[in-house]
Amino acid sequence: MTGPRLVSILRQGSYLIASIHTALDDTQMTAFQHDLVERIGRDRARGVVIDVAALDVLDSFASWTLRTIGEVARLRGAVTVVVGIQPEVAFAMVTLGMDTGSVHTALDLEEGLEFLDRVVGPRRPAAAARGGSA
Amino acid sequence: MPRVEAAEWVGEPPVRDTDAVAALIPMVRRIVAARVADVTAAEDLVQETLARVLAASGRVEPGMLEPYAIATARNVVATAWREEDRQRRNQHRVVDLTAPDLPEGGLLAEEERSAVAAALARLSERDRQALLAHEVSGRDTRSLASELGSTAGAVAAQLHRARARLRVEYLLARDRTEPPTERCRPVLFALSSGDRRRQREVDAGRHLLECDVCAALSQPLLERAPQRDDEVRIPIGGDADVVAARQAARELAGRLGCFSPTDLTLLATAVSEVTRNIVKFAGSGEVVVEVLDEPRRGVQVTARDAGPGIPDVERALQDGYSTYAGLGLGLPGARRLMDEFAIASEVGRGTTVTMTRWCGNR
Repeated sequence: MTGPRLVSILRQGSYLIASIHTALDDTQMTAFQHDLVERIGRDRARGVVIDVAALDVLDSFASWTLRTIGEVARLRGAVTVVVGIQPEVAFAMVTLGMDTGSVHTALDLEEGLEFLDRVVGPRRPAAAARGGSA
Repeated sequence: MPRVEAAEWVGEPPVRDTDAVAALIPMVRRIVAARVADVTAAEDLVQETLARVLAASGRVEPGMLEPYAIATARNVVATAWREEDRQRRNQHRVVDLTAPDLPEGGLLAEEERSAVAAALARLSERDRQALLAHEVSGRDTRSLASELGSTAGAVAAQLHRARARLRVEYLLARDRTEPPTERCRPVLFALSSGDRRRQREVDAGRHLLECDVCAALSQPLLERAPQRDDEVRIPIGGDADVVAARQAARELAGRLGCFSPTDLTLLATAVSEVTRNIVKFAGSGEVVVEVLDEPRRGVQVTARDAGPGIPDVERALQDGYSTYAGLGLGLPGARRLMDEFAIASEVGRGTTVTMTRWCGNR
């Protein structure tokens, strides 16, 4: 892919922080889903934060994709939290009739990480390594 | 004797001059050729030099003809260089902007003429007369009106319609096509005249999706229409166009200044849903976003495709009815996001979704 990156997936200890930088079409959204699920296994992530603050629209397909990521990640042993849903986007999602299902949400990245620290619970070695490297 | 001598002397000089000048030719040639590469140009300069020397030979002292010829040759060459230089500097001013006539040019012009003639022949007698009187004979609308017992405005409107019709007939004659359906001519005429109400009445957008002939013919007609800043037309052919359509809708609606960020997001989301339906079910189509002033200010979105159509529109509008992974919220969701929502679908012909959001709601 050329040009500026559409998404980035960064590792932070036992967490993955995935940021969507621009509006994605369905193909790109699906590619993002595959990349992220693959990284969860490779990096043995226990928590995933998806930052969607840059998205102008979360329509049915995008919401469905986030929900799928959450479910698949759960089956792979990771907790997913979506952060940064803009107020007007949230309003549109409710009007549209979408929700993010079992995927957790938080206001922003900071809250999302705090949430993960709470639910992923007592740090396992991988989490301790994160504390050490930070 | 002296008289005879005098007579001989008088008759001699011209002969001697010509011979003397002729004898200079090889030398002049050499001088010029050393300075001017082009053979024809050099020969011209040689001739000019000789002409000058010959004209001056009576004035030149005997024996001085050769140096005089040398000086003249140099001057002539220098003048030629100056002239050439001046022309080169000014060449851009005299550049010939008309393209050279191509061999096929005449043939094409002939085809153009015959297409125009054929198109004119297909107009009604009345339209043809009016058009020719105005465009060819240069009669103004007022004098035509008084002759026809009409008003200048009515004549102008008639001319406008006649021109629109002529454009359509010209395109048909040029391509030697006969429109495949009854609807083609009215649609093309509506596009040619730029009459948006008429275009809606004949459902021009849908026809262009369905009829390849008209889609091709309509291009020049649409191109000559002035660019509108209160309407965007987005051809839909793939995933990326879903994003393009919703962004175009948001942008156009945002310019009106009467929508809140939430309104714009609701609109963009609805456009995203209906556009996705085009991509998923029909493969291609178009989305038109336009500003409405009547009955109120707002934005209308029309999403058309020539796809398979929806067999049961009522069911498609129920939550959860879906044939693909999108949780079935596309159409019912879009309906909730907009103020007005209408869907017309015919199996085998395609679907048109028309939805509107008014300014200053909620």
